[in-house]
Amino acid sequence: MRFSLKLLLWTMVVMAMAFGLGGAYFVNYVFETSMDRETGQALEESSILRFAFETAALNAPARYDVLPDRTISQIAYNLAGGGGGRTLRILDEQGDVIYESDGAEGDGRLMEQTDESHNAYQVVRQEDRYQIRTCVQVDVLDRILYLETVRDVSEVFKERALGFTVYRRMMVVMLVLGTFIMHGVSSWLTRPIRLLTRATKRMAQGEYGYRARKVSSDELGQLTLDFNQMANALEENIGKLEEEIRAREDFVGAFAHELKTPLTAIIGYADMLRSRRLDEEKSFLSANYIYTEGKRLEAMSFRLLDIIVTKRIHIQRRRVEAEYLFQYLRDMYANDRTMAFLFCNEGGTVWADPDLIRSVLMNLIDNACKASEPGERIWIGGQRQGEGYRFFVEDHGIGIPREEQDKIIKAFYMVDKSRSRSRNGAGLGLALCAEILALHDSRLEIRSELGEGTQMSFWLPDPETQ
Amino acid sequence: MIKILIVDDEKPICDLIDLNLSAAGYHCTAVQDGVEALDLIEERDFDLILLDVMLPGVDGYEIMDYIRPLKIPVIFITARYEVRDRVKGLRLGADDYLVKPFDVVELVARVEAVLRRYHKTDNTLSALDVVVDVDGRQVTKNGVPVVLTNKEFGLLVLFIRNKNVALFRETLYEQVWGGEYTGDSRTLDLHVQRLRKKLGWERCLTAVYKVGYRLEVHG
Repeated sequence: MRFSLKLLLWTMVVMAMAFGLGGAYFVNYVFETSMDRETGQALEESSILRFAFETAALNAPARYDVLPDRTISQIAYNLAGGGGGRTLRILDEQGDVIYESDGAEGDGRLMEQTDESHNAYQVVRQEDRYQIRTCVQVDVLDRILYLETVRDVSEVFKERALGFTVYRRMMVVMLVLGTFIMHGVSSWLTRPIRLLTRATKRMAQGEYGYRARKVSSDELGQLTLDFNQMANALEENIGKLEEEIRAREDFVGAFAHELKTPLTAIIGYADMLRSRRLDEEKSFLSANYIYTEGKRLEAMSFRLLDIIVTKRIHIQRRRVEAEYLFQYLRDMYANDRTMAFLFCNEGGTVWADPDLIRSVLMNLIDNACKASEPGERIWIGGQRQGEGYRFFVEDHGIGIPREEQDKIIKAFYMVDKSRSRSRNGAGLGLALCAEILALHDSRLEIRSELGEGTQMSFWLPDPETQ
Repeated sequence: MIKILIVDDEKPICDLIDLNLSAAGYHCTAVQDGVEALDLIEERDFDLILLDVMLPGVDGYEIMDYIRPLKIPVIFITARYEVRDRVKGLRLGADDYLVKPFDVVELVARVEAVLRRYHKTDNTLSALDVVVDVDGRQVTKNGVPVVLTNKEFGLLVLFIRNKNVALFRETLYEQVWGGEYTGDSRTLDLHVQRLRKKLGWERCLTAVYKVGYRLEVHG
């Protein structure tokens, strides 16, 4: 059952109960008050009648000391207003009726409850009429008489019945009206829940970008905000995961390609060598391809191993003189006459793992050589910059197209495949550099113009001083 | 002569395919660049194109789009072995799909199959005094019909297509029986012996020690 419906139903049940009980109590209260008043009046009236009777009896000409029944009848007739006014009856001590006006018939039970000091009354029902019957003891001369009066109170009962009818009608109207209003109210109150439910469903269907709209500022509104925050965190995580999966798929795809191509060549040429009688030239060509492709696989596997190892290690940064690094490179490339290596480094200290940084620089220089024609100049340098040291390697080679610049640090990515293949590249050098620099809280910065050359640089920050 | 264009960015692969298809009697042209390939397709007529998917310049799929209206059969060569890649290639209208690394024998067989489907090859093979009608499954020696079983026929076709090539037991088994070679070569030996006897090829269908068999045709 829907929450808004439950809310509506319970509200209506509580409302009906409250109206019912309250109304019944109210109508009854009004009735009781009216009845009390009527009873009071009836008793008062009977007292007055008793007094009037006693007075009349004293004034009546009595021949003996006994009041005859005829005289009593006469007085009662006068008191009743000649038959048209009050309804009353007179009984003697034995309970025999002396006078009785129309509609005053009754039994003698009331008389038995009455004594000198106590007036009795009771409410009786005669068919569809209600009456209050009172009884008083009257002492005249030496006779004890009982004066009974009857007062019609059907109106009070009728009013009560009417009150209930009106109240019931009103309650029905109120409940119907209340249902409509509460329906609106409950659906307004539960709207945030509905919106949240929809958002949850949409998200469950994979629509991670969907957000619930906040429509109230109460606890439900807060819940919506919290939910959206959770959804944001979730979306971010999912995005990251997807990104990672895509990167991994790309890597695996590229790896498969890089692995399969040399394998195809090796298997194919080896197969040719073993199954055909090839002439000398073709034999040499095949063997040579097997050798070079095997070398390529070897280079690739070592580079991959480097990257995997680099990902796992924890580096120990220490203070190194920049000059020490550059001296090593200078010695290393001193005998290389194919390129013109120009060093323009400033002194300074570097915080780094020197072996790893040397490897990065060698990779960058290697790339610069591959991008340049033989004999071209390659600048290698570095200087203090801010709270750190910046290294750069610059060439005037072929450059890197702008749209490729983000991709080149990806594993196996090569801007010009045939060119870098011919120079024994596996497309892993820059990926390795990026890994090493990430360990140093740094990254590779690339500035390149197509046809003009490339500058690769990175900045190693000093460790924060405590 | 059947002219085949090989498009692959790897020179070693191009040479490998070139050498083998040339040996099988095709005329091959190899290019390493997509753009160059498009120029060549425009300039010359080819009967078959072997196309690498990952190419510098123009993507293999894009070249496929260009080739399709020309009705030249295409075999894709790629390192991607995922089903969706293969399906994409075939949907684009490729006739077959060869996944790296591939066996040379398989390459030749697929090229033959595609060419046969386009009726670009003469469907009769011949070696020495034997003529084989591949479609009609008929074998004649000096004009006299020879009755061969299915497997024998398969072996014969394979030998004739790879003249002077030592065919390994596992290759023969996989190509003819169509299953993984289990090392039990007696079935294969038996069939080759029957084939020799039926064709009178005791001398030219020679066993190669530790390898398999070779059909030796001189001249």
